Amino acid sequence: MSSSPLRPESALANTWTIARRELRDALRSRWFALNTAAFVLLGVGVSFLSASAGGGGGLSGFGRTTAGLVNLVTLVVPLMALTAGAGSVAGERERGMLAFLLSQPVSRVEVIAGKWLGLALALAASIFLGFGLCAAIVATRANADGAGALVALAMLSLFLALGMLGIGLLISVLSRRTSVATGLAVFCWLLLAFATDLGLMAGTLTWKLSIQTILAACLANPLQVFKIWSLDAAGIPLDVLGPVGQYTMDRLPNALPWIAAASLTLWAIVPGASAALLFARKPAA
Amino acid sequence: MIHIALACLLAAISARTLPQPSTTTSTGAGDLGALIAAAQPGDVVRVSPGCYRGVVTIDKPLTLEGIGRPVIEGFGRGDLILVTAPGVTVRGFDIRATGTDLDKENCGIRVLAPRAVIENNHLDDVLFGIDLRGAPDSIVRGNIVGGKNLDIARRGDGLRIWKSDRTRIEDNTLHDGRDAVLWYSTGVEVRGNRVERCRYGFHLMYSHGVRIERNELVGNSVGLYIMYSDTVDVRDNLIARNRGPSGFGIGLKEVSDYRVERNLLRENCVGIYMDDAPFRPGAAEICGNVIACNNTAMSVLPNSKGNTIAGNAFFDNLRTVTPLGRGDLYDNSFARGEAGNFWSDYIGYDEDGDGVGEWVHEPVALFSELMEREPRLAVLRFSPAEQAIDFVARAIPAMRPGPAFVDEYPLTQLPSGIAGAYAAGRTGREEEEGMGAVGAAFAALALLAVSALAALGGLS
Repeated sequence: MSSSPLRPESALANTWTIARRELRDALRSRWFALNTAAFVLLGVGVSFLSASAGGGGGLSGFGRTTAGLVNLVTLVVPLMALTAGAGSVAGERERGMLAFLLSQPVSRVEVIAGKWLGLALALAASIFLGFGLCAAIVATRANADGAGALVALAMLSLFLALGMLGIGLLISVLSRRTSVATGLAVFCWLLLAFATDLGLMAGTLTWKLSIQTILAACLANPLQVFKIWSLDAAGIPLDVLGPVGQYTMDRLPNALPWIAAASLTLWAIVPGASAALLFARKPAA
Repeated sequence: MIHIALACLLAAISARTLPQPSTTTSTGAGDLGALIAAAQPGDVVRVSPGCYRGVVTIDKPLTLEGIGRPVIEGFGRGDLILVTAPGVTVRGFDIRATGTDLDKENCGIRVLAPRAVIENNHLDDVLFGIDLRGAPDSIVRGNIVGGKNLDIARRGDGLRIWKSDRTRIEDNTLHDGRDAVLWYSTGVEVRGNRVERCRYGFHLMYSHGVRIERNELVGNSVGLYIMYSDTVDVRDNLIARNRGPSGFGIGLKEVSDYRVERNLLRENCVGIYMDDAPFRPGAAEICGNVIACNNTAMSVLPNSKGNTIAGNAFFDNLRTVTPLGRGDLYDNSFARGEAGNFWSDYIGYDEDGDGVGEWVHEPVALFSELMEREPRLAVLRFSPAEQAIDFVARAIPAMRPGPAFVDEYPLTQLPSGIAGAYAAGRTGREEEEGMGAVGAAFAALALLAVSALAALGGLS
């Protein structure tokens, strides 16, 4: 806290102060180091393997680097963001930091906004570090996909991370203990990464869902939105996604980025805003 | 219109100044009909630059040779050149703007007699391009045929060979048409042609003894579709990016005695589609091809039995060889002697270094199996759920589907005869220029941003 507690500052200044503290804490914490290391290593591994496979025959056809990275991001980035968000408020509450923080002249919304911003910056650092190194590999290997696709993928990953961070914060605000919050975050990750898809799979097999229904279900899941948008942005023809992809190509060729953006924006705003509102309403912990 | 008129005028002037070869006839006037009428059989009729109105009917054995690319113009109506006599050569013309009547099959060059030579003509904005009807022993060489900018259902065939045995089709370029189709024509040779943005690259119907070599069939709905034909050789072709809703690289339907060898099939929806092939027992060889980056490498109806699929390299296809519908492919051989195919998804090793893996290749992919039953599931491709399903199938034998086929001798090295350089040199995808620089710049920027953030966080 660089400002004097006696002199109330503007909401933006308060938010920024908290964000900076959050960012600093995050960059010094183990979760950030570990997650970043994991993401970077896996990302570099995927790029390297994709770039060197294919028998050296110039056969890097349909964006295999992109496809590999998309798969990786849908697994790692939501987990990173969810656990980061889940740990923040609950952890401070457990350590008594939160009571101290709220005794300062800051509003509760500012606290959440600051934490969101700080963690978002930390996640951005992590994601850009990972993609930066992937891009470096792409730059040295003629056989990999274009770096333009990587830039798009990095941006979309950050977009996805923002939504997951909001859910994490919401969990954190609702949980009394860090362990519960982390558990819930992991559960949420399992739900989004696996359970919804498996459910959709089962539903499709059982009830013969229509293509529109499947597409709508996919566009409601931020991970699927991220995946579809990334493939599209990387220039991979969506017919690799079967009839649903074909339908999207035929019927929504230009609308897809807008729908995807709308979906991810909702995911980025609604859970985070709900966390702030709930936290503002709650009596002091 | 004005410059066409001008061109005609110029033609008329230049005709008078042209030298008159003693053994040939020369012209520049607007009416080629009179000229042809005046020529003797066997004459070479040289046509000077200019614009001539179709239809031009050639009813005696002549060589009609355009000097300086004279234009035969149809103004969007009717046919343009009609050959009714045997032994006619048409060479060096620009032929454009036929009618659009599919019932009358408006056509650039229609040949109704044997032994025609159609050479070095540029056909543009034509409904049907070159149409051989009962013209055996003809040669179609070095022409460029551009179709009309119409919906695919309203286009005509860029090239149609109808009951014209022993025709040679060489070094032509066909684009934006419907099909290049061979009907009831035996012993045709198709070499060195390029077909792009059409519906079917080459389409064989009841045409036997056809050789298809060194063609490039790119960006069509289907590259090469062979139906109801016997004794077909398909070699050294590049067949890429044929991605229609049912886009195949090569389709084989009720074909017997075929050899599909050393082709490169890449980025097609389906590399090779097989329905009841071979139709009769006999040679059925799919050997030495590179099949890469297709959505599905080979989609085979289980009624296809007795194929030898060996020495191919399967790279990075989303799915490799899959039976369509229920059934398996056990009645086909995936090896010749003790050499199978190279599979980029092979899980195994080569202990004794003989180039053949120690484990058989029997791809088990529960997700693919599920997709077979429900193609709509493909939307979940590249998602963690796909891996989860496949992992479960590998881990729990009860969940494991039976493999659709087994390659007992999977190759761990590229088969000889498939040089990587072949693939790269012939087909290298247009590399994005300067992408390396963009990547380096992005890497630098990302590192800069991260260090800035770290510095920001470090400030207290």
